[in-house]
Amino acid sequence: MTDVPFPALSKESPSAEGVVSTWFVRDGESVQADQLLAEVQVDKVAAEVPAPRAGTVHLLVGEEATVTQGTPIARID
Amino acid sequence: MTITEQPVVPAPRGSHRLTTAKAMVEAIEIEMERDPLVFYLGEDVGPYGGIFSSTTGLQEKFGKERVIDTPISETAFIGLAIGAAVEGMRPIAELMFADFMGVCLDQIYNHMAKIHFESGGNVKVPMVLTTAVGGGYSDAAQHSQCLWGTFAHLPGMKVVVPSNPYDAKGLMISAIRDDNPVVYMFHKGVMGLPWMVKNPRATDDVPDGAYTVPIGEAKVVRPGSDVTLVTLSLSVHHALDAAESLFGQGIDVEVIDLRSLVPLDREAILESVAKTGRLVVVDEDYQSFGLSGEVAATVTDVDPGMLRAPVARVANPDTPVPYSRPLEYAVLPRQDRIEAAVHRVARA
Amino acid sequence: MTTTTHDTPQIVGLDDATRLKLYRDMVLARTFEEAILREYHADKGPGFDIGKGLVPGEMHLASGQEPVAAGVCAHLTTDDAVTATHRPHHFAIAHGMDLKKMAAEIFGRETGLGHGRGGHMHLFDPDTHFSCSGIIAEGYPPALGQAFAFRHKGTDRIAVAVTGEGAANQGAFHESLNLAALWKLPVVFVVEDNDWGISVPRSASTAVPSNAVRGAAYDMPAERVEDNAVETVYEAAGRAVARARAGEGPSLIEVHTLRLLGHFEGDAQGYRPELTDVPGRDPIPTYEKTLRDAGVLDDDKVAQVKKESQDRVEEAIAFAKDSPLPDPADATSYVFA
Repeated sequence: MTDVPFPALSKESPSAEGVVSTWFVRDGESVQADQLLAEVQVDKVAAEVPAPRAGTVHLLVGEEATVTQGTPIARID
Repeated sequence: MTITEQPVVPAPRGSHRLTTAKAMVEAIEIEMERDPLVFYLGEDVGPYGGIFSSTTGLQEKFGKERVIDTPISETAFIGLAIGAAVEGMRPIAELMFADFMGVCLDQIYNHMAKIHFESGGNVKVPMVLTTAVGGGYSDAAQHSQCLWGTFAHLPGMKVVVPSNPYDAKGLMISAIRDDNPVVYMFHKGVMGLPWMVKNPRATDDVPDGAYTVPIGEAKVVRPGSDVTLVTLSLSVHHALDAAESLFGQGIDVEVIDLRSLVPLDREAILESVAKTGRLVVVDEDYQSFGLSGEVAATVTDVDPGMLRAPVARVANPDTPVPYSRPLEYAVLPRQDRIEAAVHRVARA
Repeated sequence: MTTTTHDTPQIVGLDDATRLKLYRDMVLARTFEEAILREYHADKGPGFDIGKGLVPGEMHLASGQEPVAAGVCAHLTTDDAVTATHRPHHFAIAHGMDLKKMAAEIFGRETGLGHGRGGHMHLFDPDTHFSCSGIIAEGYPPALGQAFAFRHKGTDRIAVAVTGEGAANQGAFHESLNLAALWKLPVVFVVEDNDWGISVPRSASTAVPSNAVRGAAYDMPAERVEDNAVETVYEAAGRAVARARAGEGPSLIEVHTLRLLGHFEGDAQGYRPELTDVPGRDPIPTYEKTLRDAGVLDDDKVAQVKKESQDRVEEAIAFAKDSPLPDPADATSYVFA
């Protein structure tokens, strides 16, 4: 089991909140390592979140959800 | 425990989820890998990846020789694309906003569009001109226009206007492979950008690998029996939302996404109106002398008797796009205006 | 650049063959335009109706400007591109365009370069990579793309882009110079300064005495040829072409040339008081005398060159006149490939 955290896009304020803009996978889908999972955004900075390993992905937050950097947004079993 | 509004439906085999922007990029990437003569040039298309994410990651993959940042000199670099196309290359030139056509229109309509004709078919200009269109985010009068009616009015260029990821990818591959100049107009509101109001249909499953969407073929995106609604681009999504709401009110709307303006799929319009007898045209471009009149004439040129009610047009009321949100929303063809027009036509 | 097959020319007096070629090219262009002039005016009357006759429409002749075309194109092969203006005949001929197809296009015939769709301002010839633009300065940008494609293919082919001095005040001119210099494209920019933008003299349109000074704004070598003499043009063009072929980037040449006729046929030129002096400045008799003095030409040789030109031109005119007009039913052909 591997958590996928919201990436730390703002180094200056580690507790900054961001938004999960788009999920590119569905809950329960099988994913490959490095497959694009989500696009996230903190202020004007957007980033892509790849899968850290292969497995079955479970989405922990919905699209447009606001979360603090570092918070797990998905889990891969 | 998972928190998501999506049902657990696996992606169809052989496909993957993309935003419209990423689908467009994927198409360019596939064609650049296939054909070394394809290259992309424009303003901020390199490390930035296109102001509206039309080229994200492409320069990293293909290098500065094939994904080229240009000076702010639209006449020079669009003209350069024309000359390179004349010599057999397959350039894609990006005009950042369609609104900027004014600074380079001569290259577009007197050169790109006419060289094949003037040469009696001896010189081809196989290039793509990509450009961002549309409003809805308070960018005001010089950065919110659609202008596809203007491009489509001038002979010699094909014009395509995708509304979703599937069409964005398939039309881009078709455009790059076409031997004619193709103007590829992407609405900022359908790109799935994280920094703009996002339409849920701007992210969708897209087949892996290369496929084409034929230029000049419209698509019935929602079948219906009472009223034909012809539209394109972001307005397709507003129209589909309106159609769902109207269905609950007892009106079954057929929605046609034109996808291409040149050539225009007149058959698809006629076929639907022959069935419904009622026509609403929804167009974010200016109303007069444009697409909505052309669609109406497509029917009346053939048989005005097909129509059981006057045609309704929901378009920009010939006004520059205002900055202030309530004013801008008043001139855009949004769901409320569309529903009202369908009611008018259905009652008549 | 992967290959360079041209040596930098060392000009220490031109050889006789080159001088004869320059003379021939100028005579051929002049002979062609004299024939066009004759045919153009043959049936415009009574009075002058621009839309009448075998050759209808605007007609911009380049008589007097032949040294520019002959001097530049002598350095080119038909693999190089030339983008000319609304006044294109001298460059088309010096670059080796087929005279029959060219004449037929000017006569609006189906056998013309563009099957009668283009006309004299819109000559497109893939065989010689020749094109025109009828829009002032707007022929420059596509030339950049031809140069870009030639370099991409790993060749030392170049593009020559021609405008008049009036074009040097247009945005397209400046955008093109900047981009070509920035990307070191193999382009030679040629400005034909014939003193007149239709009826407006250079002094009333241009803030600088020479457009060559504008090269500095783009860190580009630029020179002005003041004497409308074909050999001076040839030498300046040799430097610019060599630089382009060597991958060193674009150059600009402005030639102070001479428009012997009006902007277009039908232009009475009432604005042009110096006109009475013009015939004495015709560059072709001047060059002919130079070559006679040098022993390159004599009466027989001159007669032979003129006869050859006449024969080729009249054959082309006859071909055009004998060719069918396009079928009106095909008026909408060729909009798309």
